[in-house]
Amino acid sequence: MFKNNNFIERSILGALSFLKDSIFADEYALKSGFLQSLDPRVKSITFLFLIIQVLLAKSLFILAVLYVFCLLIVRLSNIRLGFFLKRTWIFMPLFSLFIAIPALFSFFTPGQALVTLHTGLLEIIITRQGLFVATLFISRVITSVSFIILLSLTTRHFELLRVLRIFKVPQIFVMTLGMCYRYIFLFVQVIENTYLGIKSRIGRGIHYKKGRDIVSWNIALLWQRSLKLNEEVYNAMLSRGYNGEPVLINKFKTTYKDWVWVCFFSGISFWALYTIYGRSHF
Amino acid sequence: MHIPDGYLGPATCGFFYLVMLPIWTIASRIVKKTLKTRQVPMLAIGAAFSFVIMMFNLPIPGGSTGHAVGGVLVAILLGPWAACIAITVALVIQALLFGDGGITAIGANCFNMAFVLPFAGYYVYRAVSYKAPAGSNRRVVAAGVAGYIGINVAAVLAGVEFGLQPLLHHTSIGQALYCPYGLKVAVFTMAGEHLLIFGWVEVIVTALVVKYLLKQSPELIEEREAG
Repeated sequence: MFKNNNFIERSILGALSFLKDSIFADEYALKSGFLQSLDPRVKSITFLFLIIQVLLAKSLFILAVLYVFCLLIVRLSNIRLGFFLKRTWIFMPLFSLFIAIPALFSFFTPGQALVTLHTGLLEIIITRQGLFVATLFISRVITSVSFIILLSLTTRHFELLRVLRIFKVPQIFVMTLGMCYRYIFLFVQVIENTYLGIKSRIGRGIHYKKGRDIVSWNIALLWQRSLKLNEEVYNAMLSRGYNGEPVLINKFKTTYKDWVWVCFFSGISFWALYTIYGRSHF
Repeated sequence: MHIPDGYLGPATCGFFYLVMLPIWTIASRIVKKTLKTRQVPMLAIGAAFSFVIMMFNLPIPGGSTGHAVGGVLVAILLGPWAACIAITVALVIQALLFGDGGITAIGANCFNMAFVLPFAGYYVYRAVSYKAPAGSNRRVVAAGVAGYIGINVAAVLAGVEFGLQPLLHHTSIGQALYCPYGLKVAVFTMAGEHLLIFGWVEVIVTALVVKYLLKQSPELIEEREAG
């Protein structure tokens, strides 16, 4: 039977790690470092171009150079390399690594045999083409994820969401993003307290069917509480002068460091595009 | 179901951004027109709600866990266009701040989870619960069926998007540059795990939450349906 699934603890741990991650993220964004000193607008646009270059790259060499470039600016931004590698490798790339493994073998990627494994009746062949496909796939995922996490780590989250205005994202999205971000923190707190309350009353052993009911009731309860909150938040907005049109305060300012970064970025971008599309296109 | 950067090629990413642009524009216009000023924070709450639902891990027999998307539930509670904005916001926050789902794949992720999933689910719910009396169990069943169909349609679409990559983007000797698996493998895997596991997680969450709300605060669902 499934009496000791401890899913409540798992959910609490998930919520807590989410909170901790966010707090750490702001901690790094407040540190003095190269990327932290840049204008979020310049940083976001240049990072978007870097991610597009990662997407366009067709060779492992370009991806490797872009990844090393990313790690270099991680160090320049006073972020511990160990922390950064753990943060970037642990979730999506590790999952992608698992997905990429079958592509190594001849039944998914036929080609020139690189390694042949004999297991009883079965002959498993790792192909050269399979190795290329899987490595290219993983390299692209890890490089993209690294740039996104680096941008998120070195920019205060509210600033990052405000930057979306320069991409002409409709105000309703930007406003919802800003408010949603605050609600997430509040909701995580509510969930944490609710689970703690349940755990203190029912202990550890719980059948998974009962567990499902508890989770569903909590989601419904969260929605009920949200509705009550809606009224309070709206009144708070009115008391601060909200008249149906949100006003966003723009405090962004470019400095000489932004231009140094733009030159740095342009150099690596020019090199990458030159290598991707070849000399004939230039 | 979140597609990270590097799984889809530039043409696919660009295509889905182009497809989503008019959908986002229409969604923001409709929501601005239909949502009362007083209800504006509800959009943000819907987005945070959808984000948080993805954090609720449900136990699956055998010791593993899975999570729901909650798209159909948000569509039943807020309407499909508002759900489109709310889920888009949740996906953008996940991609931008936590690296879960790619920046270049936001168009595709939003098409699957913020457009197809809530719309398919919402209309299935409306069809199955058509003229069902308040508090009827048919509404609970309708919510479950809608959740199952919504998440599975979205998963099959994601599988098709993955499976098209080796055909669309490859080297001169046919090596895949992005997702390495063809249509058969990708669609089979995505459909299989959602039909067998995550679809049922979505059923449980959608149906039980609707059941609870119909029992405790039926006005929340009935007002929405009447509006």
